[in-house]
Formats: sequence, C-alpha cells, structure tokens
Amino acid sequence: MGRRKGRAGPSASSRRRLDGRAVLRLLAGFVVGLGFWLLFSAPYETAVAATSQALLRLFERPAVTTLDASGREIRVDRSDFPPASPRPGLPAADLHFNFVLLTALFALEPRPFAPKRFGRFWLAAGALFVIHVVALVFQIEALYATQLGAWSEANYGTFARNVWAGGFHFYQICGRFAAPFALWWGFRPDAE
Amino acid sequence: MTTPPAFSPHRRPLLFVVRFVVLLVVLYLAVAWNPVNDKVVVPLTAAIARVSGGILNALGERVTVAGTEIHSGAFAVQIENGCNGLEAALLFSAAVLAFPATWWRRLIGLAVGFAAIQVINLVRVVSLFWIGAHRPALFSSSHTVVWQSAVVLASVLMFLAWAAHGERARREAADGADGA
Repeated sequence: MGRRKGRAGPSASSRRRLDGRAVLRLLAGFVVGLGFWLLFSAPYETAVAATSQALLRLFERPAVTTLDASGREIRVDRSDFPPASPRPGLPAADLHFNFVLLTALFALEPRPFAPKRFGRFWLAAGALFVIHVVALVFQIEALYATQLGAWSEANYGTFARNVWAGGFHFYQICGRFAAPFALWWGFRPDAE
Repeated sequence: MTTPPAFSPHRRPLLFVVRFVVLLVVLYLAVAWNPVNDKVVVPLTAAIARVSGGILNALGERVTVAGTEIHSGAFAVQIENGCNGLEAALLFSAAVLAFPATWWRRLIGLAVGFAAIQVINLVRVVSLFWIGAHRPALFSSSHTVVWQSAVVLASVLMFLAWAAHGERARREAADGADGA
C-alpha cells in the first residue's frame, strides 16, 4: 500500500468521539471558564491595557496614550486631549470574553487536566492574550483614525483608516470567535 | 537535524488552521464589501428581525419591527452584524471549506449548517428580547457572554459532527475498497 497523500485537515482529530459526554465536558468547561473569567477579568484587563499601552507608545512620537482599565471599561487618555473633553471608554468584556470559548473547547477532549493537555491549554491562553493586546491596539488606533473628527483626518490617511478600522471590525465580527477555535485546533496534543 | 515530511501529522493541524484563517479573511472581506452588505446582509438581518418579531408577537410580546429594529413599549433592540448569526456562519463556512472533503459534501454541510445556525440565532434573538424586556439586569451578560458563546460553540460542534461523519464515510469506503 502506498503512502497516503497528505491533506490539510487533521483526520485524527475528526475521529475523536463527539458524544453526550463530550458535550457535557464542553458545558462544564464553559461554566468553569466563565467562573475563572469573572474572577480574574479585572487583573487581566489591567495586564492587557498595560501591554497595549506599551505597544502603542512604542510607535508614538511623543508617547501620549495612557490606558486605564477600571470598572468594565478601558479608558483611553492622551496627554494632548483638551483637559475638559470626555475620555472615550471601550467595553472590555467584548474584547476578551472569548477566553470562555477556549476553556470550553479544551474541555471537549477527555481528561482535560492531564498535564500535556493542561499545558497546551495555557500555551493557547498565552497566544490568546497576545491576540487581545493586538485587538486592543487596533481598536484604539481605529478610534484615533475615525472618531476624532478633523484631528483624525489630519493625522490618518485613507489607507491607514481602512487598515485600523477594518482590522478591528474583522476582530469584532469573526476574529474573536474564530481565535479560540483556531488556537484549540492548533494547540491540542491530539492533533499530532 | 531532519526536516519533517511535507504533510507529516505534525504539520497538518497547522495547515488546517492556515487555510481556515485565510478563508475566514476572504469570507469576511466578501460580506464586508458594501454591495454584498447592502444587498445580502442587511436584507437577511431585516428578515431575521421580521421572523423574530412574528415569534415574539405569537408569544404575546406585542412588538413592532422596523427594518432591523424590534421594539415594544418596554424594550427595543437593533439587530446588527454579530447578532444575525453571520459570525457563526463565517466560522462554520471557513472550517468546512478548509477541511478535506468532496465539494458535494461541503455544499450539504454549508446548507444544513447555515440553516441550523439561523434557527439557533432566532432562539437567541427572541430570548434576548424577552430577557431585555423582563429581566433587563441580565441582558448584557446574556448578550455578550452566554448567547454569543452558545451560538459559536454550537457551530463548532456542528462542524466537528460534519467532519467526523465525513471521516467515517471515507474510512468505510476505503475499507470496502481494500476488502474488494
């Protein structure tokens, strides 16, 4: 028998049993993930905001952006905003609630707490953190590029406006849902 | 150091993910394109609002539908992208198209999956409207976390069931060919 030609789909993964137990594990993973997410949302938002701020300031001349994660919002401030003007607040939960999807998907497999699986889960969660940081950078740049009237027009060209706004729109519409699925698929030990 | 074979099992999950992401971007660009948005997405969203309004009226909610907005005396919602099932449909479609299968099997999967996602989404819209009208304190968390996750997880489960069914059929065909 000749060697089977490879295709892009991981056939081993699709042979996995998808039965009632798997669905129950998925639901349990969702509940556990939801509890974890509710418990650690505040410090997580602080970490995402601080990393995004560092990334934004890396490319700003002068570095003017300050992000403050308080309450359920990430407040955007710039040292060149007029002191009396209101500071925009971005809803934080929309950005990172997909962590719950990641925990649910990793729980789909039997023995999700086995060391290798649990380790892979945290690797995927780390990758998701990077995605959250990048998504927040896109969201803030989209805000600067499209929401600040004449200032936006003066500082961002058409191409830049489309890249930042389109990039964040992609994350909003499908990226935030697809990211946990793609990370789960790529990081599962069973995929090998 | 040896180079892994081009399609070793270690590379195949990554190949699927790459194909999935590329297809997702292509599908997103297609639906974000203004003519498609105006002629397909907005009418689809308005149809979802009309059907949801009909169900809510049948349940005694006394709602009025205007375009993509459903409102009653107590509450109003605007159905937008992200609430019209499009996000789950894009994810499901990209996964089905990225997975190895015959085009016939993919077409059946896409048709059945899209219909199922829209049915689940109707339940989402109707229940969210009811929650907004009668339990407004629960609306935000139900909208952002519970229902969005439920629709996406349902679409992932449907994809896995479709992929497993296809694999089983392929194995049975291969076993039959070996036995002949």
